[in-house]
Order: sequence, then C-alpha cells, then structure tokens
Amino acid sequence: MRFIILAIFTAATAAAVPSISPVVAAQAPAGAAYTPGRTPDGHPDLQGVWRAWNLAKYDLEDHSAKPGIPAGRGFVVDPADGRIPYRPEMLARRQKNYEGALTPDPIANTDPLAKCYMPGVPRLTYLGWPFQIIQDQRDVNFTYEWSHKKRIVPIGDTSPLPDPDGGLNLRWNGMARGRYDGNSLVVTLGNFNGYTWFDMAGNFHSDALTVVERYTLIGPDTMQYEATMTDPKVFTRPWTIRMVLQRQKEVGLLDYECTAMLDDLGIHHTFPRDFDVQ
Amino acid sequence: MQTRASFVLSIALFMTGLAVMSVPASAQGRGGGAPRVAPALPPAGPIPRTADGKPNLEGVFSGMGSGLTHTVILEDHTSGFGIRGGPSLIIDPPNGLIPYQPWALVERNKRREDVNAYEDPVGHCEFYDIGRLHSFAQRFMYTGGNIAIAGQEQIVRIIDMNRKQHLPASIRLWNGDPIGWWEGDTLVIDTTNFNGRTRMALGGDFYSANAHVVERYTMKDSNTITWTMTITDPTVFTRPWTFTTAAPMTRQVEGSNDWNRALRLLDPAWEHDCHEGNVVLRHMRNVYDKAYGGKWRQQTVPGSVPAAAP
Repeated sequence: MRFIILAIFTAATAAAVPSISPVVAAQAPAGAAYTPGRTPDGHPDLQGVWRAWNLAKYDLEDHSAKPGIPAGRGFVVDPADGRIPYRPEMLARRQKNYEGALTPDPIANTDPLAKCYMPGVPRLTYLGWPFQIIQDQRDVNFTYEWSHKKRIVPIGDTSPLPDPDGGLNLRWNGMARGRYDGNSLVVTLGNFNGYTWFDMAGNFHSDALTVVERYTLIGPDTMQYEATMTDPKVFTRPWTIRMVLQRQKEVGLLDYECTAMLDDLGIHHTFPRDFDVQ
Repeated sequence: MQTRASFVLSIALFMTGLAVMSVPASAQGRGGGAPRVAPALPPAGPIPRTADGKPNLEGVFSGMGSGLTHTVILEDHTSGFGIRGGPSLIIDPPNGLIPYQPWALVERNKRREDVNAYEDPVGHCEFYDIGRLHSFAQRFMYTGGNIAIAGQEQIVRIIDMNRKQHLPASIRLWNGDPIGWWEGDTLVIDTTNFNGRTRMALGGDFYSANAHVVERYTMKDSNTITWTMTITDPTVFTRPWTFTTAAPMTRQVEGSNDWNRALRLLDPAWEHDCHEGNVVLRHMRNVYDKAYGGKWRQQTVPGSVPAAAP
C-alpha cells in the first residue's frame, strides 16, 4: 500500500520513457536557426501542448540509478561541469532533503510534491505531465495537466516586481514578467516563496531565487527550454539548465488531480500546514 | 427547497471561503505591476467577429448577475445564513426542479446533509463541475483553432473545435471531453467521458459518469452571451434537463459585478493556491470520521467518490 503511494510521484512518472536521450537534449544548440510561425500579433507562435520526455524530474545533475529511477545525464549546461554551484554550507541541506524524500509516506516525505503542493518553476515544466501554451493579445497562459495548475505571464509589463511585503507578495510559482526576444519567449520570475524544489533529488532554493526562462522553437514540433537560476543565498553563481520539449499531438491536455490521488490512497488532506514551519 | 440546518450553511460559507476565494484578495495584494484594466463597459454594439465570420467571444464574461445566488442550491430557494435566495435556474422542466430518479434524489439529499459536506471535491481544491464553473466569471481565449475557457480555481477547458469524435470511453475526465462547433452565432459544446466525481453545487447536486452535456453559448451583442447547459443522464435523471446562469453572461470590466473574480483570470500576480495550507478540511474530516468511522460513506453512484479508505 505504502509502496503504491510512492508510485504517485516516482514510479508512475518512470513510465514516461524518454524518447530522446537527455544527452542530446542537453547538447541542443542554443537559438538554433528555425523560423517559427507567427501569431496574429507577429510574435513567435509557441502555442500547443508540450511535454518533457526526460529524466530531469528525478535529478537535474548526472546521477546513478536508484530504486525506480534510471541513471542519466544531467541538464546543467552552465557551469560546464554540470554541477549546481551550491555554497558549501548548503550541501548538507540538499542531502537532508534527499534523505527525507526517500520515504514512501507522503506525510513524512520532505519533497513538497509528495503532498501535492505547487511544484514551482521551472519544475512544473519537466515534471513529466504535458502543458499547453496559449498566446493571447494580452498575455501568455501556461496551463498544466498536473493538478490543473495555471500561470499567466504578462507581456510588455516592465515594472519591477513588488516588494515581498513580509510574504504577501511571494508566490509558489513566483511572479512573472514576459517579453519576446527574436524567436524566443523570455520569462523573468522572482518573488518565489522558497518552499519549492527543483527535482526529486532535493535540489532547492531560497526566497531569493530569480529564474529566467527562455522558450525557443527549434523545429515545428520541438522547443528548446532554458532556465537560469540565480539565488545568492544558496548558490555561488547563476546556473543554467537546457532541454528539449516535444509537441504532443495525439491528444490534448487531460487531467491529473494529485490531491484526489492522495485521497484515493487514503491519504486525506488533514495534515497540518507544514511548508513554512521548520 | 430550503436547506434545513444552518450548520450546512456555515460549512457552505467555510467552503466558499476556502475554495471560491482560496486566499483573500487582501492577503495576496496586487503586486502584479500596473493592472491593465479596460474603461467602463462600453455600450453594446454588434457582435464582434473573428476573421472567419464567427462571433468573437474573447474577453471575460460573468452570468452572476447582482451577486452569487446559486452556489448551494440550483432550484428555487429563499435566503438563509450564508446564502442569498434566488429563483430556480432550471428552465426545463417547467416546474424548475431537477428531474432526479427517486434513488438519486435520496442520494442528493444525503449529500446535502451537514456531515457529508466533506465529500465535495471543491473543498479538496479539486475540479468544479462545468456548470458550477459558470456561476462565476470566465475568460474566453482562442488558440490554435480551438477555444479555451478559463474559470475559477485555475480550471481551463480547451474546447476542441476540430475533432468530431469523443475520446475513447475508457478515458474519464473530471470535466469530461469537450468538442465544439458553431451553429450560426451559437457555440455548441458537447461533452462526454466524465468521471462522475464532480458536484454541481455545495448542496450536492450531481450527474454521473454517463452524463452527456450540451452547452450553447449564443452571442447577442458585443457585451452579452446567453448560456444554457442540457444534461442527459439516464443513470440519474428521468429526462434531460436544462439550466442557465442567474443572469445573461455580461462582459466584465473594472467596476462590473463580478470584477473581483474576473480579475483573477487576468491578473498574473493572482496565484490560486488552495490545497497548500488547507487546514479547514481537517475539521470537516473530523466530523465525517465520527459519522463513518474513518471510511467513505457508501454511495450509490459507482465511481463517484473513492473506494473505502483503508
């Protein structure tokens, strides 16, 4: 029974057999010369259903096999050694995160995703479930199949993000500003609440995180995804991941209600608020 | 059709606060930079049209009217603690009552009891039924030849305007599989493949996984859309029935009746966190466990809620 629970956030996603190798994904050229179609507003048309078929959800770094998790190459393209540049004193916390995430009991599990908390950005992108991009005249909507999450990226709003105001202006998925840069959509995010992780290996950040995402079509059905993370509280320097997303054509977004899955397994939503309590 | 106990209404309030508002607006702040709001509602003009000559629904519309009246009960009801009174939304059958089969009416009334409010998926931050979504504002968008309808609690329905056939019956979805087409100036959305787990209101109204739902969105002028939803479900009802919104769906601009909810569909800084830190449900669960000993109540509709808890 408890092992089945594990399946919610591990084995079930292992079924997502990568159809492209992570190595190829990591080596995809930046800003490849493909000319995408245009929206009526003249922007690169990124619309459709996209999916990351890779191992990033397990670990963004090179890693050996673990129970239910294939070994694989990482996605960090900068620094060149493929390692996330943690401040030395932060590595112990990552280890603690990782060890705490080994339990199949979602209540005791340290991974925020085990209790179906919002995955954050960029984790939502490569969680393994598809998402849909809708470009409106007003903004860009990201709709995710995982627990029907949604985020809106405003385009052309260059005002600075607001003061965190003691937490009132912090978000699980951060606050976004979007712009188009040639063939790319560039999303700058800040004001994260610091409670989300990057993957199942315990890689984490603080509320000082900023993320710059870059979505670039490199073929009719392939999109390059890049994200650069900066967080001086946790890392010694900015670092960047890169991977390829594939267009899903055979079916549109379906649904995956994470909290309902917990309910079905007898894990009721009666756990105390724990994410902001150390 | 007035609810009997005030406790269920206090739970309704609880859950409204929990699931409809999610996080008080004041707690989230604005924070999204300068909001880009339209000026006051312009006078109604001719139906705006897309390049192919079909009505252009783009924008935010709400059929809430002067205020929320049917979050608990769809039929005629007087006001009470926590809810506003309102006439039946049901336009067919003419008596304004949902034509439940006898067993289904018993089940609906059980769902309406105080203790069973815990079962409503909306309190668990899960899907609203598609009719219930239309109690609130919705935002229409066009994408890749399809129409997207964004509603409360992050729910976005992608209406497939190109596909003629529904997904295989073995794929079951909370909000079903919607395919759409135009009949004149009316957008028709045909939805099947439900999983039978949603509820239509806090008061427990429901249809099963076998339901076939047809919605009709008719644009009347640049500011107005009428909407009806017809449900055919031989498992639960004696005949098809049709309901509508409390008022015609009206374009929402700053100052509109439903602007606060409309803004959530437009404001990038609005994050619909609901499950995170949802401790209210714990208290409802305690009440529920006292009644059912830690198991789910045995319900008569297969697949409508999870199997018995361990």
